Amino acid sequence: MYGWIWRHLPGPLPVRILEATVLAAGVVALLLFVVFPWIEPKLPFNNVTTPQ
Amino acid sequence: MPSTPPRGPGTPPGGALGRPLNGDPEPQTPGRRPHPGPPPGAPQGPPGAPPDATRYTSAFSGSLPPAGPARPPRPPRPRPVDPPTEIIKSVDDDYDDYEDEYDDYEDDDYEDDEPPPPPPDSAARKTVRTVGELLITLGLVILLFVVYEVYITDLISAGKQDDATSALDDKWGANTVQGGDPQRQAQYDLVEGEAFAKMYIPAFGPDYKFSVVEGTSDKHLEIGPGHYVNTALPGAPGNFAVAGHRVGKGAPFNDLDLLNACDAIIIETKTEWFVYRMLPKANEVAGWAQSDKAKDPKCGKVSPLGAPYDKTVGQEIVLPTQGEVIDPVPHFEGEVPQAQQVALLTLTTCHPRFSDKQRLIVHAVLTQGYPKAEGFVPEEFKEQ
Repeated sequence: MYGWIWRHLPGPLPVRILEATVLAAGVVALLLFVVFPWIEPKLPFNNVTTPQ
Repeated sequence: MPSTPPRGPGTPPGGALGRPLNGDPEPQTPGRRPHPGPPPGAPQGPPGAPPDATRYTSAFSGSLPPAGPARPPRPPRPRPVDPPTEIIKSVDDDYDDYEDEYDDYEDDDYEDDEPPPPPPDSAARKTVRTVGELLITLGLVILLFVVYEVYITDLISAGKQDDATSALDDKWGANTVQGGDPQRQAQYDLVEGEAFAKMYIPAFGPDYKFSVVEGTSDKHLEIGPGHYVNTALPGAPGNFAVAGHRVGKGAPFNDLDLLNACDAIIIETKTEWFVYRMLPKANEVAGWAQSDKAKDPKCGKVSPLGAPYDKTVGQEIVLPTQGEVIDPVPHFEGEVPQAQQVALLTLTTCHPRFSDKQRLIVHAVLTQGYPKAEGFVPEEFKEQ
């Protein structure tokens, strides 16, 4: 999978490294700001209230 | 030439090797001269051996006469030199694949210059590799989630808490009421998601300060501790109940389990200070009157509250479904007129840490109230 991505990145090596870094940062940002906030309430970690 | 004959017999594979290559084109001088490529010799070694011997003889006897005259100018010698270098290599490679014995001695000679090309990826190999990569990725994502829960949400919540605090300060600063009028207590304008009070717990350090917002949904609790809607207000009879996160999101109640009986929890509203003190824990109730804490003047008003509050102790751990802990009279099934209710503060958070299996509950009782005044700070802040 990663090999496939690497082979399909255009440009010479430094450009590829830059592209790969940007790609990884994008995935991390997507996880931190979209996926995790969405999934977190569904997980049994942070329920601190009792019913009224 | 004299050296060649001995060599052939001495190195059977070598001699054999040379033979097939040169044998056909040049039966005479063939195999011996070039270092014999080993692999080809292998298969033919046994059969080749006898011919070898005969060949020498025949070479000397049979071929000599005819070749005798031509010998001096003979060009064939250089000839064998060319083919062996190329041909031997390719033959060698072929044999390497299935003939291990030859790898043992020939590897060093031939494989150094040319590493074997990687085998082509089969579908199974690709599948296994992709699955492995996905599993590693999943592990990293889960690690990232832990980092998010424990650290990143803290950062996000800190920003929201700051916003709520500055909004509250603006509101309070807009028209400060000096010398709080008790009648004004009811005039909080409670808007869900907006802060309306500040909470301080000196035992957690001088920097422990949170703005309490109205509402206890996930969205509200991201900002800070949240006041259960419709429970009592600060200082009022009944149960002022507040929920807060224990891990991440600012973790206002991270150390709630370390709070001890008689520790002060200070609530600041627009017009007043309210000092609540934690009630004795269940195991302290019996000996409370004799304990050192009970003799401490500041704890004068802290003591087990008789019926109907006999089940209300400083700290308890309950099931998530036990909503009675934030009732006006916790654990009491019956009506108590509001005038006879004690002013309680209840804090709820998750327990154990990182889990929502249970709830950690802390009950405190109102012991002191001060009107806010310019420059006045309750002495309870000095307690550490």
